[in-house]
Amino acid sequence: MILAALLMVVQVAAQDPRLERLDPGTRSAVSAVVDSARGDGLPVEPLIQRALEGATKGAPGARIVAAVRRLTVDLGAARLALGTNASAAELEAGVAALRAGATPEILAHLRDLRRPPLTMALSVLADLVASGVPADSAAAAVLALAPHARDADLVEFRRAVERDIALGAPPGAATSIRVNAGAENVFSGTGTNPGTVPRPRRP
Amino acid sequence: MFERADDVVERVIQHLRRPVAIDPGLDARVLREIAQAPPTNRRGWPLWSALAAAAVLGAILIARPWSRDETNRSDLLQFVFVAPQAASVSLVGDFNDWDPARSPMQTAQGVWATAVRLAPGRYRYAFLVNGVDWRADPGAPTARDDEFGTASSVVTVGGRGS
Amino acid sequence: MGIERVESSDAELVRRIRTGDIGAYGALVSRYRDRLGRYAVHMIGDHEDAEEALQDSFVRAYRSLARCYDPARFGAWLYGILVNRCRTTGARAARRHRMFVRDADALNGAAHGDQADRVEWTDAIERALARLAPEYREAFLLKHVEDLEYEAIAELTGAGVSALKMRVKRAREQLQLYLREAEHV
Repeated sequence: MILAALLMVVQVAAQDPRLERLDPGTRSAVSAVVDSARGDGLPVEPLIQRALEGATKGAPGARIVAAVRRLTVDLGAARLALGTNASAAELEAGVAALRAGATPEILAHLRDLRRPPLTMALSVLADLVASGVPADSAAAAVLALAPHARDADLVEFRRAVERDIALGAPPGAATSIRVNAGAENVFSGTGTNPGTVPRPRRP
Repeated sequence: MFERADDVVERVIQHLRRPVAIDPGLDARVLREIAQAPPTNRRGWPLWSALAAAAVLGAILIARPWSRDETNRSDLLQFVFVAPQAASVSLVGDFNDWDPARSPMQTAQGVWATAVRLAPGRYRYAFLVNGVDWRADPGAPTARDDEFGTASSVVTVGGRGS
Repeated sequence: MGIERVESSDAELVRRIRTGDIGAYGALVSRYRDRLGRYAVHMIGDHEDAEEALQDSFVRAYRSLARCYDPARFGAWLYGILVNRCRTTGARAARRHRMFVRDADALNGAAHGDQADRVEWTDAIERALARLAPEYREAFLLKHVEDLEYEAIAELTGAGVSALKMRVKRAREQLQLYLREAEHV
C-alpha cells in the first residue's frame, strides 16, 4: 500500500506538467504510455504533442489515449527500420512514411542510400502519398533521388509534382516524369545553387 | 470562314485576359523568404523603422539559419493564412504545445501571419479561426493521420542542405 | 483601368511595412499576385518559371522598398520590377511543363470535341506569342492584356511612346499572321 502510494507520487512527480490540460483519467493513461515509451528509449515529445493536439481539439479521452498508443507502436516500428541511431525527428518522419504506406524495407533501404538526417526524404515520401501519388511510386521516386539530392531539391521535387497534379496530371506519371527531369536538370547543377540558402517554397 | 484580322487579335486578347491560376502557396513563400532575409538599413530607411522591423522579425539578424551549425540550426518560418472575415487566427501545432495563446497571428487586411523558429523535424499544425474553426494550411501538405477529426498540415524543416 | 493610384491603402500598407509589419506586405502580395502572375505567365511562357519570377519580384520589391519613393504608386513600381525580371528570365524552360500537361490530358482522353478545339486554340496562341520578339510580346501584353496607357508602359519599359506603338502594331500583325498559318497547318 505504502509502496503503491510512493510509486504514484513518483509517477505524478515525473509527469509532464503540460499534460495537466488532459482530464485526470486521460492524463494518467497517457502518462503511463509516455513513461513506457521513455523506458524503451523512444522519443516522448511526439507523444506529448499528440496528446495535447487531442486536448486542444476537444477529442474524447479514449481517442487521445488510442492515438498516443498507436504513435508509440509506430515509433518503435520506425526505429526498427531506421536503426537505433535514428534521431527523434527521423523517427517521427519515419512514422509518417510508414503510415503513408512505405514498407519498413523501404525505410531501411533509404537509410542505406542516404547519409543522415533522413527527415526530409521520409517526409517528402509521406507528403507525396498525401498528394495522391501511389505509395510505391512515391517510394521509388524518393529512393531514386536519395543518394544525391539535397533536402532543398527534394522539397522542390515534391512541389513540382504537386503542381503537375494540380494542373491535372496523373499523380504516378507526374512523379516518374519529374524524377527523370530531376535527373537531367534539377540535380545537375542548374537547380538550387550550392552554397546558397535554398529558396523557401512551400512548407 | 472569313474572320477579319482585327477580330482574330481581339479573340487573342480576350483569351489572354482570362485569369491565370497562380499557386496559392506563393504568398506564404514570399513572406517566408522575406522573413528570413529582411531588408538592410539602406538609404531612405529611417533608423527607427529598421529597429522596429528587427524587433518584429525577432532574432533573424542574430541567428541566420544558414550561418549556424547544421546540427543546431533552426529556421524562422513565416506562416500565412488568408481569412478576410476572421476576428482572430492562431497558429497551433507540435511546436507550441497546440496552445492557441502561444502564436496568435497578426492581420493585414485579412492576411494573417506569424513567424516561428523551428529546429529540424516534421511538425503537424493547423490554424484556429475565431477560436473554434480548425483549418489546414492550403499551401502545405496535408497530415494524413487525422485522428481527431480535423485536418492538419505538415511542415518539415530539413537538417541539411546537401 | 491601368496602374493607378488605386487606393490610398497601398501607401498605408507600405508605411506599415516600413515599421516592420511584414504581415502588411502579405496584403500587398495578395492584392497584386493574380494580375502580375498573368503577365508573367504570358510573357515567359512557362508557368513554373513565371511563378518563380513573380515570387522573386515580390521579394526584390520588399528588399528595395526604400526606393519606392511614391508608395501610393506601389503597384506601378512593382510592375516595373516584374517587367525587368521577366526580361532576364526569357523562355529558358522551353515550355516543357506545359507540353507535359497536354500529354497527360491526351492520356486521360480529355482532349475531345470542344475541349480539343479549346486546347488547340490555346496552343496556337501560346506558340504565336512565343514567336514574337520579346519586346513586341512585352508591349502587346502590357497594352492590350494589362490595359496600360502608353505613357505608363513607357515608364515601365524605358522605351519611347512612338516606339511602343510601333511594337504593338507589329505584334498585332505578326500574331494575326501566325494564327492564320496555324489554321492552315
